[in-house]
Amino acid sequence: MQFPQGKPPVGIIFDSAMGSRIDDVLAMALIYGLDSKNEARMVSVSVSRSNISSASFSEAIGRFYAGAVSGDFGAIGRNLPVGLATDGRINGETPMLSVPLDKKDKDGKPVYAHGIHQLVDTAEVSALIRNAFTSQYDQNCIVVLAGPATNLLQTLRLTGVKELISQKVRLLSVVAGDFGSGPAEFNIKADIAAARELFAEWPTQIIFAGAELGAQLKYPATSIESDFSYTQDHPVVDAYKAFRAMPYDAPAPGVAAVLAAIRPKESYFKMSPSGTIKVLDDGRTQFIASPTGKHQYLISDPEKKDAVQKVMIELVSAKPVPKAPRFRRNQKKDAVDPAKPAVLEVPPPPVKE
Amino acid sequence: MITNKVLARRSFLRGLGTAIALPVLDAMAPAFASQLPGKTPIRMGFVYVPNGMDIRNWNLDYEGKLGKLSRIMSPLEPFKDDMTVFGNLTQNNGRALLDGAGDHGRCAGAYLTGVHVKKSAADIHSGISCDQIVANKIGSQTRFPSLELGMDDARQAGDCDSGYSCAYTNNLAWRSETQPLPPILDPRALFERLFGADAGLTPEQRGRRNKFRRSILDFVSDDTRKLESNLGPTDRRKLDEYLSSIREVERMLERAEKDNAQIDPHMPKPYGVPADFAEHFKLMTDMMTIAMQADLSRVFTFMVTREGSLRSYRELGIPDGHHPLTHHRNDPALMEKVAQINTYHVKQFAGWMEKLKSIKEGDRSLLDNSMIVYGAGLCDGNRHNHEDLPTVLLGRGGNTITPGRRVVVRRETPITNLHLSMMDRMGVNVDHFADSTGRLNGLNLS
Repeated sequence: MQFPQGKPPVGIIFDSAMGSRIDDVLAMALIYGLDSKNEARMVSVSVSRSNISSASFSEAIGRFYAGAVSGDFGAIGRNLPVGLATDGRINGETPMLSVPLDKKDKDGKPVYAHGIHQLVDTAEVSALIRNAFTSQYDQNCIVVLAGPATNLLQTLRLTGVKELISQKVRLLSVVAGDFGSGPAEFNIKADIAAARELFAEWPTQIIFAGAELGAQLKYPATSIESDFSYTQDHPVVDAYKAFRAMPYDAPAPGVAAVLAAIRPKESYFKMSPSGTIKVLDDGRTQFIASPTGKHQYLISDPEKKDAVQKVMIELVSAKPVPKAPRFRRNQKKDAVDPAKPAVLEVPPPPVKE
Repeated sequence: MITNKVLARRSFLRGLGTAIALPVLDAMAPAFASQLPGKTPIRMGFVYVPNGMDIRNWNLDYEGKLGKLSRIMSPLEPFKDDMTVFGNLTQNNGRALLDGAGDHGRCAGAYLTGVHVKKSAADIHSGISCDQIVANKIGSQTRFPSLELGMDDARQAGDCDSGYSCAYTNNLAWRSETQPLPPILDPRALFERLFGADAGLTPEQRGRRNKFRRSILDFVSDDTRKLESNLGPTDRRKLDEYLSSIREVERMLERAEKDNAQIDPHMPKPYGVPADFAEHFKLMTDMMTIAMQADLSRVFTFMVTREGSLRSYRELGIPDGHHPLTHHRNDPALMEKVAQINTYHVKQFAGWMEKLKSIKEGDRSLLDNSMIVYGAGLCDGNRHNHEDLPTVLLGRGGNTITPGRRVVVRRETPITNLHLSMMDRMGVNVDHFADSTGRLNGLNLS
């Protein structure tokens, strides 16, 4: 893939336990929202929930946005393989996966198409993530870990990958831990050993969005009911409604982790001092301040809470914007297919680098 | 004839400037032993075809036990029980990874090295290839640590693909990061390398031999007679077949050299290379068979034509260059020609497999004791994609592989995982190779 105009937007590697928390879906939607604004590119999607539906739904979301954002070419060219952990600590299907996947149109066809029906349709996770690193410009990649550390640790353990991460990755943004006084957080508790090793060995800066932050930043049910009306079927809406009885507001630490990582200059959140986050035997997290530490956690900023809420809703619920197709050989720059008028509704902002 | 007398495995028929290694004979094993337990060598080979494949006519749409093969694979129908067809193997380091155009240079350079080669026409940098890692480990056990063969172009300098050196497109084997091992293209050169037909001869002797065009078998006839008198009927038949195959190669070489003066091959060729593609292929693989049979080497690479090859196939009625055809823009007429070329290549390969299967080594065949990968470094030559590489493995690796199946691995699985698994079977045990992520699951069901 060539970007003749210079570096592309930052590449996002997204790993979650899709199916556990609706926040994972919201975070994905946010990344695709930023993708449509040319602020980021989703370059790798993987799941640590050892269940085919988890991968299937992740791909369905990707197809929904890719097809909507870039038309038919996008639907073909931007379908990413989805990595699936075969030895994940979490498994099983949940309604937020099965309900949208089982949804049929009037002809009995799945509303949300995907191509993952068996294990061989998925990708080997460590190879997938490693390969995604190799295709990024130096320091132009962000990893968002929204699930247990299982997959990312496997990747980190591959020969030469630690050096590759140092070269390519600017930041790891983790949805895990609790930096208040809460109990052990779900993603850490799911694989304590992996979390401990990953946080200790990861070579770049890590920021954490803990459970206490999610309790203060919630995605409102009212947005689900009203802001997606531009389409009859939306995977985010169907998953949200299936996750829990409506109406409810969903804690959104994953959204915070994505926002803080991709738009650091906006300072949507306060940052803790630098330090080291230690994973205790029971899964709770302990922050030890240290000027040389590479870890920080996000702290809700009361002054910006409303603004963050507004940005979150705006980006997560944004109607996918068709992108102008990249110029290709044998194709006139101004050629327009009258059958598919891919007119830009909103001019993309300049690439931030 | 049952005897306790054991003939040394490393026996030779010697004569004037000639030493012909022997195939495995029953006389090399103790009485009643039907094979040489633990000693029968396993051979590893890679046969590479360029420009990807017409993937619609290559891929199978099922997993598990092999049933009907695809059009391109159809010549391999008789070997369904001997082959493993892979799906989804990926060569990530063949991808651009920000280096722009040059998929042909990259994919060939990475094929056996697993390395993202340096984009340069002069300052080449790759990695040591898996065949050479094996050759370094076991090569001292055979006369040649490895053999590198080809049929197209062995240029080592210049720009062959968008800034990538011809060293990348024209070689499979790399002894070091900067030293490729160019393939032998000329059958005569290969013959003389294998059998040393001219080694040790004075210019006068060489001239006398060429004048009378004697077979190298004539030079070892005394040794042959002595050996035959000590062999049982089965071994005598084996020896006769083996020596006949060498003689047949000689005849083909002589014919090729004679024909070359009369036939326009439509491309420059060195002396001794047959004008006919199929004949050239057969000659090279016949000699490889002899080398395998006589345990002259256990490691082979064979670049059928160089990556990005422009060769035309007039024998198929296809005057167009292979590479341009693969950029068919979904034109059915051009796609059909690509499928014909792909099938033609597989047909030649199948002819070689037939020979390997017919040669017995104890209770097994030579093919059983081999692992030979037939594949391409690109998937679809039109798309230039590097995942789901067309890959077939022939042989049982000395009963360490359960063939007869299509094994579809998970997406992005590195092809170097297959290489690593093959290296294991050759006695090279390393943690990883290049970008491998582990051993390939599913090679052996038992």
